[in-house]
Amino acid sequence: MPLIRRDPSGASAPKLEGDAVTQLSDANPDVRWKAARALGKQPDAVPALAAALHTETLPQVREAIFTSLVLIRTDASARAAAEFVRSEDAALRSGALDALAAMPDVVERILSSLLQDADSDVRILSCDLARTVPGDVATRLLGALLQAEAEPNVCGAAVEVLAEVGTADAIGPLTACKARFPGEAFLGFAIDDAIERVGAERLDMNG
Amino acid sequence: MGDREPPSISEDEFARLCDFFYRRTGMIFTEAKRYYIERRVFERMLATDSATFAQYFARLRMDLDSEIEEIINAFTVNETYFYREDHQFHCLTTDLLRLRAAQKAPGEAIRIWSVPCSTGEEPYSIAMWLLENWPEVDKHDIEILGSDIDTRALNAAREGLYGARALSRLTPDLIDRYFEKAGEETWQAAQELRESVAFSPVNLIVNAETRAQGVFDVIFCRNVLIYFNDESRRVAAENLFECLKPGGFICLGHTESMSRISPLFEVRRYADAIVYQRPSGKPEEAPRG
Repeated sequence: MPLIRRDPSGASAPKLEGDAVTQLSDANPDVRWKAARALGKQPDAVPALAAALHTETLPQVREAIFTSLVLIRTDASARAAAEFVRSEDAALRSGALDALAAMPDVVERILSSLLQDADSDVRILSCDLARTVPGDVATRLLGALLQAEAEPNVCGAAVEVLAEVGTADAIGPLTACKARFPGEAFLGFAIDDAIERVGAERLDMNG
Repeated sequence: MGDREPPSISEDEFARLCDFFYRRTGMIFTEAKRYYIERRVFERMLATDSATFAQYFARLRMDLDSEIEEIINAFTVNETYFYREDHQFHCLTTDLLRLRAAQKAPGEAIRIWSVPCSTGEEPYSIAMWLLENWPEVDKHDIEILGSDIDTRALNAAREGLYGARALSRLTPDLIDRYFEKAGEETWQAAQELRESVAFSPVNLIVNAETRAQGVFDVIFCRNVLIYFNDESRRVAAENLFECLKPGGFICLGHTESMSRISPLFEVRRYADAIVYQRPSGKPEEAPRG
């Protein structure tokens, strides 16, 4: 039989030797990849990981850096990832959002400030992160946004998320938001749809 | 199933359900699977005493009593059997091995990893499939490794005892040639087949354990990543990436999408299956037409 059985030798690839933080800027991408992965349990490496994201161009190393920020899982690591939500580089933005979505418990703590960011693009993208937190939390945070947000596009993003994950408590803020933007037909339509959805579920949950 | 009629799920509700599943689990459902999905949802509605789809969907979104895990279990067939999802085995012998073999130095083995392998049906299926369907099988050294976190399952795999249900997709001729009767309704994988597959314990999210398995040309990792949370999925994807040779392939379950899990791999569409490839840095070779 041409199939041969060979048990794994157990001899893994050599481990990283030396200072992983320094090696984040090594010329060899394999060393940078291993360094990024090695720092996933070191909360004090957050500044170095964040700095490396500013210079790293290889997608797989960027991904490993984001994963280490996820594994560190502190407010600082989440804020470090969140900084890249405002990046001009679409891949970095996407990487940051994926990383944040992988730590919903931490995102819950920083989402409020992200939703008040001065940059409306950051607020729009942050609305999407609300999908990862419990429905009542998303309803509270996005409901608060809808009360004061001046940009209809940001409200639209929040409404879309509420339609998916919101509870019936969203009906009040949704209604108020519609009243604040009487000239935005698309927003009014989306709000009516969202109210119908979360309202239907309230009726059902109440039997 | 009781006397209740299956629920009526509107187009919009169906779309929301599919979107929810994709976002939360990476599982992909299309309109073609609508009947299958509706049946599973109906089962879960009965089990949770949900009167309407909207009520059930609210429970699902809030993950009450781990409902997400419950419905994933309903969607995935937990029992395994020989030649399951064999379209990927077709792809293996039609496209993947041809491409990998072309990269091999003389005498360099082709390595295939089945993880998790449960009680051995998948790695033994791969061995049988190669012997039956790959004309070049005699030209190469081929190593097949089955790994699982469950050492009891691994012991059962090494023993190779199976019931009729596990063999139900095999022809009598295949059963005759690769198995020996071991009881009334029990067959044992023939010694030669058992000796063609190695087994090892591994936890997919422990880097030291996955690295110890070496690097592979093709990995079958089906219906396990959907059970992981996002953090574990990222780690598992990076471990699998390290365990693939550049240009190597990974096959997931039919409802799973690596694109939802990690950007590390490139999607490759072949005639029989969609698989994921570790970038080789070389231009992609076109599938055989």
